[in-house]
Amino acid sequence: MAFISKDFRSPGEAWVKTDEGWERKKVLECGGKRKRHSSEGSCPEATTSSSSSSSEREEEQEEGCMPPHYHITIRCTREIAGFNGLSEAVKRLDFRRSVRDRKRFHYICAFLLLVSNKGIASLPGSAQRQLLQMVEEVASHVNDSQQHPNVLRGLALKLEQIVNQENQKCWGKPLGSTYLWQEHMARIKRIQRVASQIEIREPDPEARPKLHELPEECVREIILCIADHRDLESAAEAWETMAKLVSEQRIWRELTRFHFNQRQISTILDLDKIKQMGETKDWKQIYHQLRRTYGVNDDYQFAEVLALCRSCCCLFWPSDGHPCIIDQSPDYKQRVQEAGGQLALAQPVPPAQFLKYFSL
Amino acid sequence: MPSIKLQSSDDEIFDTNIEIAKCSGTIRTMLEDCGMEDDENAIVPLPNVNSTILRKVLTWATYHKDDPQPTEDDESKEKRTDDITSWDADFLKVDQGTLFELILAANYLDIKGLLELTCKTVANMIKGKTPEDIRKTFNIKKDFTPAEEEQVRKENEWCEEK
Repeated sequence: MAFISKDFRSPGEAWVKTDEGWERKKVLECGGKRKRHSSEGSCPEATTSSSSSSSEREEEQEEGCMPPHYHITIRCTREIAGFNGLSEAVKRLDFRRSVRDRKRFHYICAFLLLVSNKGIASLPGSAQRQLLQMVEEVASHVNDSQQHPNVLRGLALKLEQIVNQENQKCWGKPLGSTYLWQEHMARIKRIQRVASQIEIREPDPEARPKLHELPEECVREIILCIADHRDLESAAEAWETMAKLVSEQRIWRELTRFHFNQRQISTILDLDKIKQMGETKDWKQIYHQLRRTYGVNDDYQFAEVLALCRSCCCLFWPSDGHPCIIDQSPDYKQRVQEAGGQLALAQPVPPAQFLKYFSL
Repeated sequence: MPSIKLQSSDDEIFDTNIEIAKCSGTIRTMLEDCGMEDDENAIVPLPNVNSTILRKVLTWATYHKDDPQPTEDDESKEKRTDDITSWDADFLKVDQGTLFELILAANYLDIKGLLELTCKTVANMIKGKTPEDIRKTFNIKKDFTPAEEEQVRKENEWCEEK
């Protein structure tokens, strides 16, 4: 392979052969850290280790494992737009494996949906391939975990639209590489097959107690954990007790308070339509009125959001951390402190913001 | 360290650290109200919890003994359900029967953290599914007649239109 490197002192690139041809190794540094992360808590040494062995382990970590992170050029201009590569960022931030991380799943899916809304055809070929690989990962994860099938169905539907669109780009044929497109088509078909065939496994019919044998107060606790009105409605349709509990005012009142602030609620409460209700308010109606007026922000569902370090302009996952210039060079830290700057400020980067860093 | 004896419904005795046992509101009140704290040989009967479930509850309580006390703020309930730690997720890799028994036990023993965790886990099984999927997931036999079902759908119809 040709050696093209940013820096002549670098050790060069490592290439690996994959099913789909040669790929440059990009995230070899983050393997160990993630493994350690997943075994956290179940490792018996963690609690009993003496101070000497824990310091040893820290050294080990420093040597081999670097958490996934990606340096980014924030103020993107036309001249340097190419500096931020979407496929590079996605690889370095370990998006594909993060699909299987419960905390990051929704973030990745929201990102995938946003990218597909923009139309993947304008992306470079390798980025297209990566995104579809990620969607396939989502499909297999949803199939394994039997959770969030709606997310997968949404993505599969989006892909179908993209296929329909692309197929007419150039005299009834897609534009661009035929081979790449064939590969995409095969993958999209696989994803759609999984999405359409998701079979919910039924539990052992003998197992006791069952959900509908729980007392109402327990079921109410469960309902109070649900933050999406569509889930509430499906649950209500599924079974009678649930329908009765979902129609309770408290459920909708708390849902309203969760999604909207006091100012928004008072604005709606001032409407004539709501005022006519008098003292007994229908919170379900109030919720839907608020939803139509202000819209529901989906960001609440991300348990972990990608963060941007202000000191080193580095994107990283907060649970993994990142190697920061502040920690590495005491001089710099001192200068920042003297200048009165705040140390280690990281700001959250929601999916839409993340996409803005790239010229798509 | 002071310990306490808990007796499950099938008469098994669990010798437990008193601080761990106190994560349960029920046991805490019982100890405080009955003045059993000083009595080494006192046995606390828990007739609603069997030994398998009590063992699991105590495992959970031991792991979470240093957690901060949850606040009493009921109205601003946390609705995020995927912030479950990997230990808790592994702990709850059990069949549905055990999961629901844990909910019952957490409810009876008044252990807020465990109740929240188990309810979140069940909520995750409900989220994003169609009514038919939900019924299958929990093996719920359809108890609506088609007419009733139509009525529920009609009641919810109006909120879908934009």
